[in-house]
Parts: sequence; C-alpha cells; structure tokens
Amino acid sequence: MTTEKNPTPQQIKDKDFDLIQAINAGEVEKFQDLVKRYEAKLYNFSLRMCRDPSDAEDMIQDTFLNVFRYLKNFRYETKFKNWLYKVAASTCFKKRRKSKFAPEKELSLDEFRPDDEAEKPDHVPQWALMPLDKLLNEELAGVINKTIITLPKKYRMVIVLRDIEGFSTTETAQILNLSPSNVKVRLHRARLYLREKLKGYFENDR
Amino acid sequence: MTGDDHDHKHCLEMFEKLSEYIDGELDHAACAEIEKHANNCVACFSCMETLKRTVAICKNVKDKPIPQEFSKKLQEIIRKVVPKS
Repeated sequence: MTTEKNPTPQQIKDKDFDLIQAINAGEVEKFQDLVKRYEAKLYNFSLRMCRDPSDAEDMIQDTFLNVFRYLKNFRYETKFKNWLYKVAASTCFKKRRKSKFAPEKELSLDEFRPDDEAEKPDHVPQWALMPLDKLLNEELAGVINKTIITLPKKYRMVIVLRDIEGFSTTETAQILNLSPSNVKVRLHRARLYLREKLKGYFENDR
Repeated sequence: MTGDDHDHKHCLEMFEKLSEYIDGELDHAACAEIEKHANNCVACFSCMETLKRTVAICKNVKDKPIPQEFSKKLQEIIRKVVPKS
C-alpha cells in the first residue's frame, strides 16, 4: 500500500501524527498504541463488512499487519484514519476476491422509484416523525446491522463509510478509489434499500 | 398528492436527488425546487422524511465493544510481528 506521489505534499497533522512519527523513528512498540486507538472502530467496521465474524477478525488482523508493513510509506497526505480505512477496504475486497461468492447483484433505482399508479402514502409515518431518541434502541441497531449485511458489498461499503463512520463524499471516494458521483449513486441506492427494510420493520414486524 | 396539475415527472426528479438534498450537496436553486415540490406533494414529503430518518438512524447506531478476548489475541499477533526497538 503506497500513498500517491505529490511533488509538494501538504502534511496533515492529525491526532495520530506524533504517534506515527515516533513509530517510524524507531519506537515500534508504540504500534500497539495505534492498534488500541482504532481496534474498536475497525472491529465494528469489519463486522459490518464481513458476513462471517471469523472473517471480520481476519480482516482486522490483516489490516493492522498491512498498516504496520506500509506505515513507513505513509506521507500524511490524508488523515491517518482515512488511510487506515483505505487499507481496511482494500483488505476486505481482496478477501472477497479469494472467496467463492457469486457476483453480487446491482441495486437499480427502478426498484425503489415511486410508481405513478401505486398507492401513494398520504401521510408521514410515525417512525419518521417521533423524536429520534425515542426510536433508538438495541433492537433497532440490530435491525440496521442485520440489514446492512444483506446489501451487496459495493453499496454496503459506501453506506457504512458515509452514514455510520461519518466520512464525507470526497473522503469516501478517496478511500474506495471511486469518483464522488459514483459514491453518491451507490449511497442513494443503499439508503433507499435500507429505508424499504425499515418501513417493513416499523409497519409490519414490530 | 395535491392538485390536478401535479406532474409525476417532478416526483421522479426529486426522488433521484433526495440523498444529495439531505446531505446539503445541492445548490440553492435545486434545494428550493425540491422544497417547493415537497410542500405540495405528500407522497414526496413522506419519502423525504423517511429517507432523512433512515440516515439519522444510521448516524446514531452505537458500536459494539470489541470483545476483550479478541483484543488480547490481536495484541499477541501484533507483538509477534513488531520487532523490539
């Protein structure tokens, strides 16, 4: 994993800058501190990316080992966290290529497009109006996590980075090597998919 | 849906831009257009509010704590790879 070459790179001094400088200057035992700092975030990211929890554990291990291997090449041209997720995403995609899954399906906007003939809602459902904190609970978090894992990976990766991990469109595009417009297209379809599932949960399953 | 002059084409145009609207990625004119349409179309307003709520729920999903056992295992793996300085 290498960072892009830039003749006049501007260094980003984020909260990890000093720690990475120390590790690269020879205090390699401090790499454990970097792992501690991000293991919980990466654990949750991996659980959402891998259908199998043991694959998620492998993904975290491989990600940190890759980060250690390539840390000397990190040029602070992005936040370390963004680079870490780039390594994690790349590790995740490589893992999938090695597995024997069938090609994942595309989500078409047509699946979610409002139909002129269909019965249209004449009101906003309660779950979209009530205070958010009255809605959030462990059960709903479980529904979200279980639904996200059913999304095809290319959409899942985008919605997790944008709406759960909080990266911007530009950052997500950089992490996944996609154009910003491609990120937007995938995100919109992933959100519509999730919305359909939430509608089903709130209107039928509860 | 209100009014006989309601054009389904507007619903579809709005539908395609909803995420960008929610994320504040549209220009002022496009936002105004969407808001005007949503104020006159209950179906689109409902679509917008449920999508906004979907995004808000995602943004507030709490992470699970990393299991201590796995955290220790990870430290061991890293310790084996990282040379002593």
